[in-house]
Amino acid sequence: MTRHRFALGLTIVAVPLLLALLGPLFAGEPGPRAPSFTLGGGHWLGTDFVGRDVGRQVLHGGRTVVLTALAATALAYLVAVPVGLVSALTHVRRLEELLMRPLDVLLAVPSLLLILLVASVFAPGAVGLALLVALVNVPDAARIVRAAAGEVAARPAVEALRMQGESWWRIAVGYVGRSSLRTLAADAGIRLTGVLYLVSTAAFLGVGVAPDAADWAVMVDRNRTGLFVQPWAVVVPALLIVALTMGTNLLFDAALEKSSKRKGRRP
Amino acid sequence: MSDRTETVAEIRDLRVEIDGRAIVDGVHLRVRPGMVTALVGASGSGKTTTGLALLGEYPAGARVTGEVRLAEGGLVGYVPQHPAAVLNPARRVSALLDDIARPQVRALPPAERRAAARELVLRALSDAQLPDAKALLRRYPHQLSGGQQQRVVLAQALLLGARVVVADEPTTGQDALTKDRIVDQLAAVTARGIAVVLLSHDLDVVRALADEVLVMRAGRVVESGPVARLWRYPRHEWTRRLLDAQRAAPPDETRTGAGQPVLEVRHLTAVHGRTTVLRAPHLTLHPGECLAVMGRSGSGKTTLARCLAGLHRDHDGELLLDGTTLPRSLRHRSRAQLAAVQYVFQDTRAAFDEHRPVLDQVARTAVRLRGADERAAREEALTTLDSLGLAEEPAHRLPGELSGGELQRAALARALLAHPRVLICDEITSGLDTVTRRGILDLLAGLLRDRDDLSLVLITHDRETARIAHRVAVVDVGELAGEGRARQVLTP
Amino acid sequence: MRVSGLRSFVARRLLLGVAQTVAVVLLVFALTEALPGDAAVALAGDQPDPARIAAIREAMHLDRPAYERLADWAAGLARGDFGTSLASGRPVTQYIADGFGPTLLLAALTLALLIPAGFGLGVLAARHEGRLVDRLVSSATLAVYAVPEFALGVLLVTVFALKLAWLPPTAVGYGTDLLGHPAALVLPVLVLLSRPVCSLSRLVRAGMVDALASPYAAHTRRYGVPGARIRYAHALPNALAPAAQQLARTVDWLLCGVIVVEALFVIPGLGTVLLNAVAERDVPVVQGLAVVFGVLTVVLNLGADLVAHRLTPRAGVAA
Repeated sequence: MTRHRFALGLTIVAVPLLLALLGPLFAGEPGPRAPSFTLGGGHWLGTDFVGRDVGRQVLHGGRTVVLTALAATALAYLVAVPVGLVSALTHVRRLEELLMRPLDVLLAVPSLLLILLVASVFAPGAVGLALLVALVNVPDAARIVRAAAGEVAARPAVEALRMQGESWWRIAVGYVGRSSLRTLAADAGIRLTGVLYLVSTAAFLGVGVAPDAADWAVMVDRNRTGLFVQPWAVVVPALLIVALTMGTNLLFDAALEKSSKRKGRRP
Repeated sequence: MSDRTETVAEIRDLRVEIDGRAIVDGVHLRVRPGMVTALVGASGSGKTTTGLALLGEYPAGARVTGEVRLAEGGLVGYVPQHPAAVLNPARRVSALLDDIARPQVRALPPAERRAAARELVLRALSDAQLPDAKALLRRYPHQLSGGQQQRVVLAQALLLGARVVVADEPTTGQDALTKDRIVDQLAAVTARGIAVVLLSHDLDVVRALADEVLVMRAGRVVESGPVARLWRYPRHEWTRRLLDAQRAAPPDETRTGAGQPVLEVRHLTAVHGRTTVLRAPHLTLHPGECLAVMGRSGSGKTTLARCLAGLHRDHDGELLLDGTTLPRSLRHRSRAQLAAVQYVFQDTRAAFDEHRPVLDQVARTAVRLRGADERAAREEALTTLDSLGLAEEPAHRLPGELSGGELQRAALARALLAHPRVLICDEITSGLDTVTRRGILDLLAGLLRDRDDLSLVLITHDRETARIAHRVAVVDVGELAGEGRARQVLTP
Repeated sequence: MRVSGLRSFVARRLLLGVAQTVAVVLLVFALTEALPGDAAVALAGDQPDPARIAAIREAMHLDRPAYERLADWAAGLARGDFGTSLASGRPVTQYIADGFGPTLLLAALTLALLIPAGFGLGVLAARHEGRLVDRLVSSATLAVYAVPEFALGVLLVTVFALKLAWLPPTAVGYGTDLLGHPAALVLPVLVLLSRPVCSLSRLVRAGMVDALASPYAAHTRRYGVPGARIRYAHALPNALAPAAQQLARTVDWLLCGVIVVEALFVIPGLGTVLLNAVAERDVPVVQGLAVVFGVLTVVLNLGADLVAHRLTPRAGVAA
């Protein structure tokens, strides 16, 4: 059952992921512009709202979504892990409050709202979008790191390590960090799915991308006007985004279940 | 006398097998009304599996042969070791009992059912010795004390109309007073003609309650008989060892030191948040001495130990090691100071890193606290482990693959590698069965005998454990209530 | 002791709520302050003619110190005065009043369907744990859970509006009178429901399955309590607290969803107002809407937290 779902997730995610990463290599040179929203005429998937070849746009359009999402997830942990670890291990209550309270406050702002708010002022590019998405993920990620590490830090093993005179690094990274790894891996999967959602939704709303960018989400938005004439320009990128998010989620869920089963079997 | 010979439940030739390994093999058992049948044995001897067989429950994937027969209408109740686990945290006590009473009043007209069910519930509560039923019924399980939870579970069994109650380790981890109360309760249950099957490794309780005893080892009954006969004339070698394990040797009295104390506590007041949890005006420990700190659970004895070890930092007062002040938090103690006062934890399994082999973890003490190099530390760790009865082969394994007794030995070795002056042991025998516990206590007595410079602080609620001490200090409700020579304090 | 524990929890949570509200207001204000260079020039954007720049500077009082503007703006918020739009000169409150109806309708309809649908699917899956129904429900909810609304939305439009022609593709032409055209609401509400229903039903299922496998469920079964009673009186209450907590998070999702769905189906609600203001860089309108959405989220989260706290079963032993 779990194996099936793992394979299913892998199959579903493979198509958009391969397209996103390798597509640009096969795209070739852009041809001359054709009329908008036409079908046929040497264009396998027709043309888009400004008469570009949809097939070529599709080959180009996944890279930004995938790379921005991966970068944002990594960035979020880059901040969240040290903050969570330090606040879990410190015995200075004030330091913990100083680290965690501002994040609680940030947690109150709906993520898309914050992104739109910034977009109204700055018009961020792909890098700016990655930073923003990372920022809205930091509070929740830090809380999860804090909770996982806090549970481990409260174990007698940490006191035993202190009793042995072990250094802070060895306790924090070698024991607490390592013991929290499973929880963090589980969270990373869920977070990546959420980040993919946020990055593509932001792109659909025009944040972080040029209005005529080769991006699946932008394609869905811009080609909507021609839906009744040339549905492929909308349906294909939409299906790819569905496959990407759905597959990622199925894959991580199956992987998670597998690893927790393996753990359960040990004495 | 005729009902005494009648049988309410019987197990014949029970064999339970998991993955081809028999965990219970060829067990016969007869349960008679109003009598207590005790199954004793170390953990893993198969007594819980046998007890649950009476309830018709077996481990997942087990192959079962043999016969479990209950008398006509012979319902079986169950009181588990941790009563909180079988009480739904989201429901009030009234709802938990009502669910069981409801099917019994189904024959009545609908209008009368509620009142009749309530009547049954109230009677069961008073039978289980739970006063003030009205207030109790409105509470959630987490608002009850451990004892109350246990009695609510018992009330459920009585409400069910059980003719047999299986009680699984009802006294494990409880202090002496609570134990006495549980014994009274179970005795009251048998007085109502209900049979009790007691699964326990607590021999005091078995002796006080049981009519008949079955001694189990590795899934088999090695000996059975009336309790008095078994105690006086044990026939099987294993029974003899089990009983011997209880009779401890008193310590060597010649060496209780005078002169300068190695550790001294002055005007200690420990707090948790804003509440004071312990007051200890003065306490000393001399070189080569073993001090037992006794008290009920929650009395503050563990807090005392944690203050000494530097694990509990919220306290006023002074700790002196060889006459010089010891910092409150172990974060501020020097390596020499850390090495001098070592601590062994109650929950050994949780006190080891589950990812690293035991030997590596034990050896680290010598590396960090005494500056030994990696190889010398491992050598010393192996020698120490060996002297404590842990062979090299298990030492290379991960903590998860060792038994509780083996891990406790490794934990002692980890502390001893610091060459401590003071070794604090916090309830280190409480989770262990009688034979393993005896082994650990013998080990501690041996340490005291062989190492002149070592002093022990034993935190315990158990009189047997305290018998190896020279002196006993008693902690009661957060106050150091008194101290004296072990002989005087422990003699009842 | 219990009462005072509850009271201190409520007090602490309320304090956090107030701090969050203040933080939202400050954050919204600070973002416009963070504009590089001359804010008026930056905001003028594509049409940097001096008259427009001067008008913006005038409208936003950019010549006055920041703290004075913050004090004025915050005092205005407290009175219900959100300032005036840079683009049209109309008061921001009027924008909010215009967009409020359709958004409230969408949100209310979604919430009203969310709870029965989420609990229904969760209980259904838990009842048939491990069997075909459970596998279908679990796989479907897991799959749909992660899909962005806009992608799901256009696919549904393609199938139901384009291919089958059962439903209108957008709400264009209906204005704010959506209730008069219920067919136009079906797809938007369906899309809005997709993610929250999945997460809620998965939580309900997990909570019930855990509870049914627990020692206390085994104990009640042992004593002959009927199965239906164990399911609904014992297992379901244990799934309520996580579900309530999840409903609070759903507020965030619903808000994201509403913005996307309004854009996708061309519904003139608050989301559309916000997107238009963002596109025109109409800062006062964006600020006003951000404060409304932010405070709404804080308040709803607060409520859900209090409910979840009340419902959470506690383990352990009283001293």
